[in-house]
Amino acid sequence: MSRQRRRASLALSVTAGLALLAAGCGGGDDDSTGLPADQESAGGGDGSPAGGDEGIRLGILGQCEGPFGGFHEDVVAGTTLALAQFAGATPNSSTSALEGFSGAEVAGTPIELVGIGCGDDTADRIVQEVRRLVEQLGANVIIGPLSGDEGIAIAEYAKANPEITVFAGISGSQEQTLQVQAPNYFRFYGDGAIWSAGLGDLLHNQEGWDTVAVIADDYSFGHTSAAGFIADFCAVGGDVVSRVFPPLGTTDYSSYIAQLPNPDEVDGYFWAVGGTGTQAALEAFVNGKGDLTGDQHAGNLFFNPNLAQALGTGIAGAYVGGFATLPGDVQTPEIEEYLAAADATWETIPGSLSGNEPAPPSVAAAFGFFYGYYTAGVALVESLEAVGGDISDLDAYHAAISDLTLDLPYGEISLDENRSGIVDVGLSRLVLDDAGDVVQETVAIVPGVDQTFGGTFSPDTPSPGRDFPACEERDLPWVGNAIPVVDGVPQG
Amino acid sequence: MNLRARLTGEPLALAGLVLFLILLPSLATAFFVNFVMTQTLILGLAAATIVFLSRYGGMTSLAQLLMFGIAGFMFGNAALDGGARGLNLGWHPWAAVGFAIVVTTLAAVVLGAIASRTTGIYFLMLTLVYGVIGYFVFAQIVEISGPGGITSIQRPDLLGPPVRLYYAGLLLSVLAYVGFRALRRTAFGLALQGVRDDPVRMASLGFNVPLHRTLAFVLAGFVAGLAGLLNVWWNGQIDPASISIGPTLILLIIAVIGGISSLEGAWLGAFVYVLVFTYLRDLPLVDRIGITEARFNTVIGVIVLAIMVLSPEGLTGIARRLPVRTIRKELGGTRA
Repeated sequence: MSRQRRRASLALSVTAGLALLAAGCGGGDDDSTGLPADQESAGGGDGSPAGGDEGIRLGILGQCEGPFGGFHEDVVAGTTLALAQFAGATPNSSTSALEGFSGAEVAGTPIELVGIGCGDDTADRIVQEVRRLVEQLGANVIIGPLSGDEGIAIAEYAKANPEITVFAGISGSQEQTLQVQAPNYFRFYGDGAIWSAGLGDLLHNQEGWDTVAVIADDYSFGHTSAAGFIADFCAVGGDVVSRVFPPLGTTDYSSYIAQLPNPDEVDGYFWAVGGTGTQAALEAFVNGKGDLTGDQHAGNLFFNPNLAQALGTGIAGAYVGGFATLPGDVQTPEIEEYLAAADATWETIPGSLSGNEPAPPSVAAAFGFFYGYYTAGVALVESLEAVGGDISDLDAYHAAISDLTLDLPYGEISLDENRSGIVDVGLSRLVLDDAGDVVQETVAIVPGVDQTFGGTFSPDTPSPGRDFPACEERDLPWVGNAIPVVDGVPQG
Repeated sequence: MNLRARLTGEPLALAGLVLFLILLPSLATAFFVNFVMTQTLILGLAAATIVFLSRYGGMTSLAQLLMFGIAGFMFGNAALDGGARGLNLGWHPWAAVGFAIVVTTLAAVVLGAIASRTTGIYFLMLTLVYGVIGYFVFAQIVEISGPGGITSIQRPDLLGPPVRLYYAGLLLSVLAYVGFRALRRTAFGLALQGVRDDPVRMASLGFNVPLHRTLAFVLAGFVAGLAGLLNVWWNGQIDPASISIGPTLILLIIAVIGGISSLEGAWLGAFVYVLVFTYLRDLPLVDRIGITEARFNTVIGVIVLAIMVLSPEGLTGIARRLPVRTIRKELGGTRA
């Protein structure tokens, strides 16, 4: 019996040895074993060269699970709208974007949706989803992903797979472009820091804040959002006296509020606390530091009029950073046309802002998640037009994308040398309307913001963190250039 | 004779399977080999350490994914050079491999020594605590984990082409399988099984029960660390969410699906898990009955539930019983 077992072990050992041999001896100077499975190239799944004659095989990366799972419909709809508007696509359903579309074509090149990736806000999962889209379904163009860490992972994937072309969705981390610098990864929107730009200038030079305390979620988006504000506020001469970082998912913020200076010790507070934490943190502030006086607070995109439902109208007066689009009070002909196009494309879509219940598509379209994926879709269409639908020369195609300047409903967007968006940031304020309700009113548009903040952030600097960036004065290109907005009309 | 037939049949079938897997890259698509099968081998290797501890040591561990993660993080910290994330030690990749394995094994020594005096549900709880603490260590000490994870992790040049990673996974899987099987009949393995069955009697016979448990835990940690290295090479990145409670439970579920009492079940469970996550959505009409990507965990849950009810020994238990039943049926048929 033991002899038989030994024989069996021997058999397994021999096969293991063969495996080693097969793995080892295959490697030649070309660093390839020559097996079918040894293709790193995109489109390897069906053996067809990516970017060949068969047109655009598009994969969209969204999130159907996790904290942003509710935006899955929104983001797919964003890209679909761009293709419906400019490439003749027809959605397969009038009540959902997730059913896909058909008939998209630009300059004679068809655009086929091969799949929609389902992320869960983790980098591991999104890498597996993109591999499925590219390596199994043969996608050669990817639009997405949605959130910060995913963006870094996908940019890395793009760098390792130069045959694909990625238009980022709405992922807000800096590093995906600033540090990874994949030549085939393009971001036609801002990042978490950019969306806080101009706020410091406004608060210091207009509202007279000299000192500020910052409280932000202790993870990459919180750090990045706070970093943009700190860089901006310090650049114009302000001082950040306190930085507090509660862990993501905190429900009782009282101990973190206690670490903040009192309202009489500081001119104001900047909040980058997201999700359900925004309200919980502000409530803890009321309990620990006294009533809210809106004039003394500013927040990133997580500040919105709904906070007044629980906190009362004391929040009125707070300034709010931007997020890709502008609040609803700004209505230019371009914005109206964009929102009308969304309503014409579907009867309803169950977007996140309507609680995933059917609602007019323009509700979702006016928010940043939808819009980020829309800008990516427009970039895809315009880049194909720029090369006459021929993407066989990928270098020329990527060069054409880099040179694009998109004339979009919420402002012009071009790319910097790292292929990241130079965008206009809309700053707003929570104010009381005539009926005494808190509404969001646009106060200024800061044009031409890029992700380096005049050199604060560069490929050689660390990622935004608890201590970075330090508070330093420096010249920012957009200081003093903010365009005031009065009653929803940009002045100038 | 039946016993003898099974003894020779099973290893030969496994050897045939290994041979088939060696030839697979010439037969299957790149995606199937480099994605589905490579992931299967990596997860299977990690899950096999759970099976090993459970089957031979009577310890159901939830700390194996932590070991997997420690190795990945340590390799990332040691091998990366420059950039914004991690320690950026910039070592030679194989030095980084050594470093990752040493740190993982040392962590297993410490954690195993502490856990070695507990059994059953207490061991499970304690290793769950390890997993949770480990997650928070990497989530909070951002110097060694990012912040937000370590990205751009490159494979050593030797494993450059993706198919070699598959072969590395296959080789390590075969070695782990053969090694664990062989260990069972060594003095240490026999003592370990004695410890599993009756620790009090083993202690009274003079065996150092905690030491045996610790050594088994260290060995399992070492192998899980190897799987963790393969994983960061395959995935190119690792972040604290990679070792959070969700993936930790998934690894246990993989072991349960395959059959927590059989080593080969670890790879079988991993295969089923990867198949569900990769191909379920391609089935026609599957989304019409509400099984969208967001509900894959529900499907996995239903599979686990069905297996627990129908065959506590997992899929390998079902597979083992099938031929026997068929034979019995045939015998019954001829008799009748």
